Amino acid sequence: MATHADVRRNAKAQAVLLVAVAALVSFGLAGLAQITRERIARNAQAWMQQHLEVLIPAALHDNDLLADTITVIAPDSLGTAQPVTVYRAWRAGIPTAVAIRSIAPDGYRGPIELLVAIRYDGTLLGVQVLRHDETPGLGDAFEKREPHWLERFRGLSLSNPPQQRWSVKRDGGDFDAFTGATITPRAIVTALRRTLEYYQRHRQRLFRDPPADAVAGAAADFERTVAPAAWHSSASGHR
Amino acid sequence: MNASTPARLDSGFGPTVQLLASCPLLAASDTVVKALGLSLALAFIVPTTILSARMLRPWLHEDNRLPAAMMLLAGTTACVERSFQAWLPGLGESIGIFLPLIVANLIIVEHSLEHSAAAAADWRKSMVIAAGMAATLLILGVAREWVGRGSLLHDAGRLFGPWAGALETTIFRVDMGFLLAMLPPGAFISLGLLLALRNWLARRSMTPRTPHRP
Repeated sequence: MATHADVRRNAKAQAVLLVAVAALVSFGLAGLAQITRERIARNAQAWMQQHLEVLIPAALHDNDLLADTITVIAPDSLGTAQPVTVYRAWRAGIPTAVAIRSIAPDGYRGPIELLVAIRYDGTLLGVQVLRHDETPGLGDAFEKREPHWLERFRGLSLSNPPQQRWSVKRDGGDFDAFTGATITPRAIVTALRRTLEYYQRHRQRLFRDPPADAVAGAAADFERTVAPAAWHSSASGHR
Repeated sequence: MNASTPARLDSGFGPTVQLLASCPLLAASDTVVKALGLSLALAFIVPTTILSARMLRPWLHEDNRLPAAMMLLAGTTACVERSFQAWLPGLGESIGIFLPLIVANLIIVEHSLEHSAAAAADWRKSMVIAAGMAATLLILGVAREWVGRGSLLHDAGRLFGPWAGALETTIFRVDMGFLLAMLPPGAFISLGLLLALRNWLARRSMTPRTPHRP
């Protein structure tokens, strides 16, 4: 019978033991990942749904926003080289609005993830900050201290104010920065302008594919209820 | 214990190393809720890894104990992280990036721990370690949130679920708060004050009080 000391001195036994530990840990993790996958995907969807509901009023759409998305890549306009998700809103088959997960790449402490909702005619429905790492108490003023700052953008477009004045006051534009921070407001205003410009240039293409529901009504329902994880591109992506 | 192991971490400069390794813990102590979340994670991770490492120990060669302990620790931490994402998504989001960092911290603790013969003693020791870390985190969390924001358990509803919303307390309304307390340097200053307090208490209890009555 092998004693502890025998096992300790046997290199082969040690290798087997370490591999066994690694395998055990891996199986445990894989199992947990499997169990939690659907729940985590549902959490992510619920989180997104909350933000979308705030920005795009129910009266504007009769489709499921999470089910009608396309992904686009536009590093110069949308602030990231990664694919960006665009949620499309339709009413009776007529396009009414989009919500673009645009990014302000030049925040004070890293990129600021935005959700920019634009009405079909190009006016802003609103903007939400999804994730950010701005300095607590200074750069995050849009959260609690000056929550109205983000609301100011509602109803604005590239012609109101004129495109060249879409910057903070310090840069000769129309927008107030908030107290204690210049870089964060500048990053957000610039990102909004770029996103609006992108929308203006690409509106036709964004709405080129018909609404997801119309393409395959029954199939889309099936996909929505059975596999909530598949929310990346239910219509067809382009580029 | 094998005397040939070079520079055991608990020889002399151990406390300093452990203090430095606690930096990621400090980052999550700016609000009580985050401190609670991380304490919760620690209460599970520390005993689990220390006890499972203990079970393997008799069979493992001295050189293989560290890699084995690291795998166990990293695996357990990843499990906790994933569970947070699934069941407490708000909390998972806000302490998510700090959780993996405590692996570095705990591996030092585990490695410098003298395992004892009785399992019960190890169990008790691991609970003491977890409780000590949790207590430090909570004290820092209460102090920093109170000074920095004038509130306690801010965001509890968002992070733990709607039922906890009722726990949110505002002690005084502030516009910007005492910013320094919320920022990372505030964590170090608070920790320094806490250590000073601890040393003062320790010294006071050591010097016998001379009965000095008229």
